[in-house]
Amino acid sequence: MTAERGLQVAALQQTLADAGYIAERNLVAALLLMQDLGRPLLLEGDAGVGKTEVAKVLATVRNTRLIRLQCYEGLDAHAAMYEWNYQRQLLAIKLLEHDERGIAQKEQDIFSERYLLKRPLLEAISCEQPPVLLIDEVDRADEAFEAYLLELLSDFQLSIPELGTVRATSIPLVVITSNGTRELSDALRRRCLYQYIDYPDHAKELAIVRKKAPRAAAELAQQIVAFVQGVRRMEMQKKPGIAETLDWTAALLRLGITVIDKDGAERIMETLSALIKTRDDRLALPREAVARLAAAC
Amino acid sequence: MLTLDALAATRLTGFAGFLRANGFAVGGGDAVPVLQTAQRVGVLDPQVLRWSLQSLLCGRCDEWLRFDELFDAWFLPANRWQKPERREADDGALSGDRPNGPAGEHEAVDDDELRPRQAASRQEVLTSNDFRALAEREHALDIEALMRRFAREIKHIRLRREARARHGRRLDLPATIRRSVASGGTPFHLAWKDRRRVRPRLVLLIDVSRSMTLYSFFYLRLARALGAELTDVHSFIFHTRVTPVSQALRDPDPWRAQERLHLIAQGWAGGTRIGDSLAQFNREHAARIVHSRTAIIIMSDGYDTGDPQRLSDALVQLRRRARRIVWLNPLCDRPGYAPVCQGMLAAMPHLDLLAPGADLASIKAVLPNLIEALR
Repeated sequence: MTAERGLQVAALQQTLADAGYIAERNLVAALLLMQDLGRPLLLEGDAGVGKTEVAKVLATVRNTRLIRLQCYEGLDAHAAMYEWNYQRQLLAIKLLEHDERGIAQKEQDIFSERYLLKRPLLEAISCEQPPVLLIDEVDRADEAFEAYLLELLSDFQLSIPELGTVRATSIPLVVITSNGTRELSDALRRRCLYQYIDYPDHAKELAIVRKKAPRAAAELAQQIVAFVQGVRRMEMQKKPGIAETLDWTAALLRLGITVIDKDGAERIMETLSALIKTRDDRLALPREAVARLAAAC
Repeated sequence: MLTLDALAATRLTGFAGFLRANGFAVGGGDAVPVLQTAQRVGVLDPQVLRWSLQSLLCGRCDEWLRFDELFDAWFLPANRWQKPERREADDGALSGDRPNGPAGEHEAVDDDELRPRQAASRQEVLTSNDFRALAEREHALDIEALMRRFAREIKHIRLRREARARHGRRLDLPATIRRSVASGGTPFHLAWKDRRRVRPRLVLLIDVSRSMTLYSFFYLRLARALGAELTDVHSFIFHTRVTPVSQALRDPDPWRAQERLHLIAQGWAGGTRIGDSLAQFNREHAARIVHSRTAIIIMSDGYDTGDPQRLSDALVQLRRRARRIVWLNPLCDRPGYAPVCQGMLAAMPHLDLLAPGADLASIKAVLPNLIEALR
């Protein structure tokens, strides 16, 4: 049994890698456990470390749908769960005016599933096959919504006053991401499995670059990763994430730069807009600093 | 499914209690999922069990980082406690099983150093200051009452913007239909919704340098009371560097909150470098926490030993991100006070409001202005 689990972890890790996502083994172990216990997985970490990607690749690997709920300030139940299609309902009321049926029947007709707009949460629990439900940046939504979410995640049912309770036909795999801009409630944290994702180390980032940008030669990839890791060690307002690394790689390839060294600092400067995203950070990286970093690669 | 023997089961369920004693937010109900997890993943592969329990029992980043040490302390025999696994050494590799290194590989560590701790370690107990003041009963009720009032006012700001508007940008269809019932289904009276709601977020920056000794506890208690009322409050203390304290303040157990502040407060009551602290805040926390509806409240006397230019620069940068910057200065209501010290002179041009705030009475007096400034 136990050896089996170790093998399962290794197998899933390989599958994820084949699908283009390099995962550390503790993340893989959490993904397996998430299915065993039927709990949501809460991912925290800085922007750009690949949190959202986890859900996407999980959907790919499980060969199922990805349903995404992007949270924002002021997100309410209507936008997240369901809404009545008022326009059609109004129209239907007009059309039914000369209908012979009784009031009760008309009402039942107007509040039937035909007039229900399914939003991500309702959709996720009424799928035939269990989908992956990604609740992205949950810290942007407010506390009231968090409480609402908690109710759904514990019972996997949802009550619509006019229709009654909708039970989940399948339990989705729920992945929740947070950038930590707001403290999440302990109740939500208790409900979830937790995983903190850090910036990748050298080996992992190299593996990602090799995977996602196979056109970059081995030596160049090595240098790119060393350079980006060097930039991350500096005091930055916005550290470059994995997406930035890949963008930058693409930019270098596009310009035909094949080697990163001190002499090429000028040309590297031209591509830095793919890597550095604020003015202050840009000012912190003058030509000499780039040359120094490049020389160290 | 694997059945665990009684000994292993006891050991596993005890682990949840051990984490709780070390300040993890783990409840009594967590013993069951721990056992379920162990049954699923087995107990013979320590790595997989470690990772699984880590994601199960941790709830936040600081717990995540401390987990390895506590796991070792609880499960490994006394002479085999190992340093937490380094990432470079292990994860990320695509290979299958990595055998757990032989015991000899691990550094020999002194037994006492890693002995399981029943409570947070308190090596750096600072004698000069006493956090007991944080839980003192005196004034506690007054402070709470005032902060409740403050919080209510702030919630009002939110409610007012959220209310249904007479004229808005979007039709409020549910309300329109409800109203149309009165006119037999024809929507004569339209209802509107306001465009978006506004929720001010508060960031408190509390100066705890030596010159502020008289006031900093008072401000910490304010921050604690406010944090209990509003969820969107972030508190930091600074002297020569800035440290987040929201977590510690939010601890429901006042005794443990004191403990945690003890640990945090290295350099407490030392010199002040406001400019450097704010610059550090800009660098490490601002991007995440400060958005266009954030009000920053700095509580400091403005006696700065650092470069005033740096303070000015830091405030300019903060100004660009934040909606409001308010400075509460405890010295402000002294007769004849004028903001002439270097720090205040540098800061003045960038503030929305400079208000006195030495004690409860003066905070109470300044509250309306404060609310007005946050609006």
